[in-house]
Amino acid sequence: MKFIACTEGHSSKIEAFSLEMIAAARSLAQAGDEVVAFFVGRDAEGASASFGAADRLIVARATRSDVIPAETYALLLRDVITAESPGLVLVPYSANGLDVAADIATRTGWPLVSYVNEIKRRGESLTVVAQMYGGKILAECEVPLPAVLMINPGAFAEAMPGPIAAVSVQTIDAEPALTGGKVKMVAIDVPDYADVDLTTAERIVCVGRGIGDEASIDLARNLATMLGAEIAGSRPVVDNGWLPKLRQVGKSGQKVKPKLYLALGVSGAPEHLEGMSQADLIIAVNTDPKAPIFNVAHYGATCDLFDLVANLSDRLRAGSGR
Amino acid sequence: MNILVILRMIPDSAGELQLAEDGRSIDREWLDFQLNDFDDHALEEAILLKEAGGAKVTAVAVGEGANRVLQMAAARGADEVVALQSEEDAMISSREIAASIAAMARAKSADLVLCGVQSSEDVFGQLAPYVGALLDWPHVSGTNRIVANGAVLRVTQERGAGVAVTYELATPAVLGVQTASKAPRYVSGSKLREASKTPIGRAMPESSGFERSAEIITLRLPVQGGSGENLGGNAETVADRLVTILAAKGLARN
Repeated sequence: MKFIACTEGHSSKIEAFSLEMIAAARSLAQAGDEVVAFFVGRDAEGASASFGAADRLIVARATRSDVIPAETYALLLRDVITAESPGLVLVPYSANGLDVAADIATRTGWPLVSYVNEIKRRGESLTVVAQMYGGKILAECEVPLPAVLMINPGAFAEAMPGPIAAVSVQTIDAEPALTGGKVKMVAIDVPDYADVDLTTAERIVCVGRGIGDEASIDLARNLATMLGAEIAGSRPVVDNGWLPKLRQVGKSGQKVKPKLYLALGVSGAPEHLEGMSQADLIIAVNTDPKAPIFNVAHYGATCDLFDLVANLSDRLRAGSGR
Repeated sequence: MNILVILRMIPDSAGELQLAEDGRSIDREWLDFQLNDFDDHALEEAILLKEAGGAKVTAVAVGEGANRVLQMAAARGADEVVALQSEEDAMISSREIAASIAAMARAKSADLVLCGVQSSEDVFGQLAPYVGALLDWPHVSGTNRIVANGAVLRVTQERGAGVAVTYELATPAVLGVQTASKAPRYVSGSKLREASKTPIGRAMPESSGFERSAEIITLRLPVQGGSGENLGGNAETVADRLVTILAAKGLARN
């Protein structure tokens, strides 16, 4: 059986989850199977230098565009699927993968499971474990092959990066598909970190939906100031416009690794955990004892967050003599 | 421009979820259902597009409480509201409903289909790429800004780490909204009462058209991985402990 591991990279950087897709495929491959890495982008050299854990690499090389629209990625992947007849296509849960997975599943008619954490091979089918309801429920699913799976970043340890033999690399030209595509990239905006860079912050106080309203953020901000911490928010808080986008932690925000991460009213959806679970010290306050944030917290408390902020602020103020 | 916006009712995931007796679904009897957050943003984006350049917005709701949310959609500015029938007490699989949405997009001569980028029940795949691929229309997910200039859309997509990519594409198209250009508006009680007279259309579901799909065998609650220490629920005790912990780690402000 062939496995296609979909990989990504842009701005001369191969995404780490690419190596996780190869590792996931490798973990399922048996004697006689083949793991084929698929890459679309400008950094063909980077892909060839990194994906040695695959048996073969198919590179759809772009020369102009740095970011590949998912539509084009999916179109090129379709051709590869037709030519290779794989038993399983592994797509990362990424901005690109979100569009590619169901597109491919529709056009092939194959089953698709998203948000996959574990995969077991059982003859001609798979048993997978996927997350639902913000990580509060795990679904064990049976998946007939061939199929498409969208894999959570971090679910598989990265395969060892290393070069792949030149004879095992097949290069195709992505430009015709890019030129003929209906979706054209017109701009990339990279944030200006002049004001705040959470990725280098040593202390972060993050507020989640539990903060309730915009006015209450000031309470958390005061606490952050007392702790010498940056204030941050989870996606719902930023989507409501209560904090600027640059202060968002998680999949569509920043990935942070501070010495202190104090999470106030953050439930800990998988997308949030992806951005902060590597922090040195995680303290979580949430009235829901089943909130997934407690799975990664070093210390957890289930008291009302406003009571805690008031009490903690009092003590810090007293301690500093103010 | 004709805009079709999809509103999925999902269990309130802030509430406690319990497994049903069959072990393959969640117990829905006592659950609160609410509009999928991302779909709320999709609705807002649809109304913003209507206000910016004129459009007819048709809101399609599916699931428990669909009528209630359609009245809200009408109060916010939707011109037509339709409830898509769904199996009672079943999760709303985007893979299952995609064919119905695609059929409605054709029937309503939609130029643009908007829905939330994800829902907590889309374990079998996301709605925007399913509908886009079924219609063979271009689709982009994770948008946080949509600007229409005639039939040309300029769409900004969040890529993580604060990176945003802007694309241009022509209608007809399908977009999976992450965040509306502005936060969803509130509607007053009087507007809601007024909108409660809006007639709600009905649509019957189509077959998904997929011959083979994955299937849920069992659901389970994740093992509470809590290797961490539980400081309890008393704010004063917790604050005392945290001050000690922070001081011991040199993390109190210096």
